[in-house]
Amino acid sequence: MHYPEGTVRSLLNTNQVTKATRQALTERLTSPAYQPQFFSASEFALLQAICDRLLPQEADDKPIDIAGGIDKRLFQNESDGWRYDTMPADGDAYKLGLAGVEETAQLFFQQAFQQLAGSQQDDVLLNIQRSVAPGKTWEHLPAGRFFEELLTEATHIYYSHPLAQEAIGYVGMADVPTWQRISLNELEDREPRKVNG
Amino acid sequence: MLTETVDAVVIGTGAGGAPLLARLAAAGLKVVALEAGKHWNPATDFATDEKSQEKLFWNDERLSAGNDPLPFGSNNSGTGVGGSTLHYTAYTPRAQPDDLQLRTDFGVGEDWPLGFDQLEPYYDEVEQFLGVSGPSPYPWGPTRKRAYALGPLPINGAGQLMERGCKTLGIKTSPAANAALSAGYYQEGVGHRPACANRGFCQAGCTIGAKASMDVTYIPLAIHHGAEIRPESFVTQLVQDASGRISEVIYIRNGQEERQRCRFVFLCAGTVETARLLLMNNLANSSGQVGRNLMAHTGLQIWGEFEEDVRPYKGIPGALISEDTHRPKQADFAGGYLLQSIGVMPLTYISQMARARGIWGQDLKRAALAYNHVAGINILGDCLPYEQNYLELSDEKDIRGLPKPRIYFSNGDNEKRMTAHADKIMRDIWDAAGAKNVWAFPRNAHVIGTCRMGTDPAKAVVNPDGQSFDIPNLFISDNSTFPSALSVNPALTIMALSLRTADRFLEKYK
Ligand SMILES: Cc1cc2nc3c(=O)[nH]c(=O)nc-3n(C[C@H](O)[C@H](O)[C@H](O)COP(=O)(O)OP(=O)(O)OC[C@H]3O[C@@H](n4cnc5c(N)ncnc54)[C@H](O)[C@@H]3O)c2cc1C
Ligand code: SF4
Repeated sequence: MHYPEGTVRSLLNTNQVTKATRQALTERLTSPAYQPQFFSASEFALLQAICDRLLPQEADDKPIDIAGGIDKRLFQNESDGWRYDTMPADGDAYKLGLAGVEETAQLFFQQAFQQLAGSQQDDVLLNIQRSVAPGKTWEHLPAGRFFEELLTEATHIYYSHPLAQEAIGYVGMADVPTWQRISLNELEDREPRKVNG
Repeated sequence: MLTETVDAVVIGTGAGGAPLLARLAAAGLKVVALEAGKHWNPATDFATDEKSQEKLFWNDERLSAGNDPLPFGSNNSGTGVGGSTLHYTAYTPRAQPDDLQLRTDFGVGEDWPLGFDQLEPYYDEVEQFLGVSGPSPYPWGPTRKRAYALGPLPINGAGQLMERGCKTLGIKTSPAANAALSAGYYQEGVGHRPACANRGFCQAGCTIGAKASMDVTYIPLAIHHGAEIRPESFVTQLVQDASGRISEVIYIRNGQEERQRCRFVFLCAGTVETARLLLMNNLANSSGQVGRNLMAHTGLQIWGEFEEDVRPYKGIPGALISEDTHRPKQADFAGGYLLQSIGVMPLTYISQMARARGIWGQDLKRAALAYNHVAGINILGDCLPYEQNYLELSDEKDIRGLPKPRIYFSNGDNEKRMTAHADKIMRDIWDAAGAKNVWAFPRNAHVIGTCRMGTDPAKAVVNPDGQSFDIPNLFISDNSTFPSALSVNPALTIMALSLRTADRFLEKYK
C-alpha cells in the first residue's frame, strides 16, 4: 500500500496553496546539494551512514538530505528551545556521539561503522539506543539520550520535506479552498487515496 | 525616549499581557508594550508548513533537568506579538470552583486566594470578546449566565472516534469550547474576523485570523485605544529608584540598549521568562519563592490507528471534550483531569512518535505511512507544587550573555497515579472505538507557577491583585502566578485574571 507520487508537487503549482506555503516548500524541494560546514568530511559521511539506517531511502529516490539539515542548524547555532541538562551543548554532543558510534563499531566488529553490513550497523545503533553500548565515550555522553535526540532531529528534517509528506499522503498544505469534508472517511477531490502495490 | 515617563510598561504580549494592555489603554493611560518577538502579518508570514512556523516558538535554549525534563520550544512557549497564543490549540474551558480549593478539599497543594465568583464575570467577558465557539448548555461546571458567543465548531474524525468510544463506555462528551470562530465575527476596535476554515493548523499560526490569538483580538483593541507596541524589544533590566520602586525598564532593540521610564510595570513574560528576569535582577524575592512551585500539567496522549480515513490535518484539532474525569469517584489522587480529542499535523506527530516509541528504520516509515489513519486523546490534569520542581539561573550564558534558565521537573506520586488512571480510560476508549497499534506518549504541558499569588508575603510573590509584595509598582500577570495548576487548559484563566488585575489596579491607582 502506498500513496500516489506527485500529489504535493502538483498541488504546489495551483492556487490551492498560499504564496508563503509554496515558497517554503519549493525551497526545500529544490535546495541544491549541501556541503558540510560544521562537521568534518569524515564525520559528515558517518552521520549520513547513520541517517540511512534511521530513515532508509530507496536507491532510486531523490534523497532527502538529513545530515545536511543537521549540519546547517549546528553551523548556524540554532536551537529548538531546550536541551537535556545531562547533555553537553548540541554541537559537542553530536561530535562526541559520532566518535562514540565509531568506537562502539570498532569494539563490536573491529571495523569502521561504514564498512559494516546493514544489520551490524543496526546492532551498533540499537545498543546505543538502549544505553548498553561499550565505549569510553558513553561514560561522558548519555548514549540513550544522544540517540533519542539524533533520531528525533533526523525524523523532523525528513518529514518536513515535501517528498516525504507526499509519500504518507499528506496534503494539508493545500488549504486555500478550506476543508469542508472533515468527517471520518470523507475526502475532498484533492486528497490522495491509497493504492495497492 | 529617555525623558518621557509613561504610565505603564507591559512586558510580554501573550495571554497575560495583551488583555491588560487593552484595558489600561482604554482607561486612558499611556501604555507601552515591550515584546521580545516580532509583529507578524499572518496572511503573508505564516506558511501552512510546520517547519517554517518554528519561528513562533521561544527557541532560546533552556536547560531541562529532573526525572521528567520538560521540553520547551514547540511544546511550551511562544514568542512574537501575541505570545504563546500564536500557536496554542485554543481550547478554552473554564476552571471549576473546586479547582481553586485543592488544599481545602484534599489537604494538598494550595488554595487560590480568590474564589470562582471573582473570575466568572471575566470568563464571560473574555469568551464573548474572543468569540469562543461552544455548546449550550455546556455539560459541566456551574450553570453559565450566557451561552458561548458562537455555536460549536464541527467535529472532525478524531472527535467522532472519541465520541464513539466514549458512548460505548458511558462517558459523556461534548463539543469543546474553542477560541476559534464557527462563524464570522465583528467587533468594535478589532474589526471582522472570518470563520475557521477547518485547516487543522492551530498549533502553528492561523493564517486567516479565525483563531483568537492575542494579535488579532486584544492587541488590535489595545492599539485602537492608543497603546504603543514595540516588537523585537527584549527586556533585560528593571531599574529601581531610591524609594525601591521601578523607575525604568531597560531593553535591547536592534542590538542597542534602550530605556523607558514608567510609573508602573506589568511583567507578563510567561512562567519561565518572568521568573528569570526577576532572578537576574534580584527583585521581588524577599520570600525566596521566585522560581519555586513550578508545575506542569499532566498531558498524557494515547494514539491509535483506525480502519477509517481520519486525515488528522482537517478540522479544529481541539474538537471534543469530556470533563467526566474532573473528580473521578474512588480516585487515588487529588484533583482531576479532562479528556480531549486531538488532531495533529504530520511533523509533530511523527517526530514525537520517533522520540517516544524509539522506532526507526522500516518500522518508523511504516508507522508514518499510517498518519492519515491516526487519532489521539489527550488529558490535561492538575499538578501539585513540589520542593523538587523549580527554576534557577545556570552558569551557562545565552547569545545575549544572560544566564540560561535551568528547570527541574519530576512528576510526583499524585501525577503518576493520575496518569495511570487516565492511561486506562483512554486505552479503553480507543479499544471501544476500534483502534489498533495503540501507543502512549507521556508528557507534561504548560509551565505554571514560579511567582505564586497568595495572601502571605512569606509564601507568595504577589498578592491576589497580582501586585508584588516587595515592589508596589510592579505587577505580574501571566501563567506564573497560578497557586495551583487547575485541571483545565490555562489560557482562558490567564486572560480572565489579566483583566481582573487591570481593573483592581485602575480602581486603586488611576
Ligand atoms: C502548542 C501549544 C498548545 C497550547 N494549547 C493550549 C490550549 O489549547 N488551551 C490553553 O488554554 N492553552 C494552551 N497553550 C498554553 C497557552 O498558550 C499558554 O499557557 C499561555 O499563552 C501563557 O500565557 P502567558 O501570558 O503566561 O505567556 P505567553 O503567552 O507565552 O507570553 C509571554 C510573552 O512574553 C514575551 N517575553 C518573554 N520574555 C521577554 C522579555 N525579556 N522581554 C520582552 N518580552 C518577553 C514572549 O516573547 C511572549 O510573547 C498551548 C501552548 C502551546 C505552546
Ligand atoms: S483550524 Fe481554524 S482556527 Fe485553527 S488554524 Fe485552521 S482556520 Fe485557524
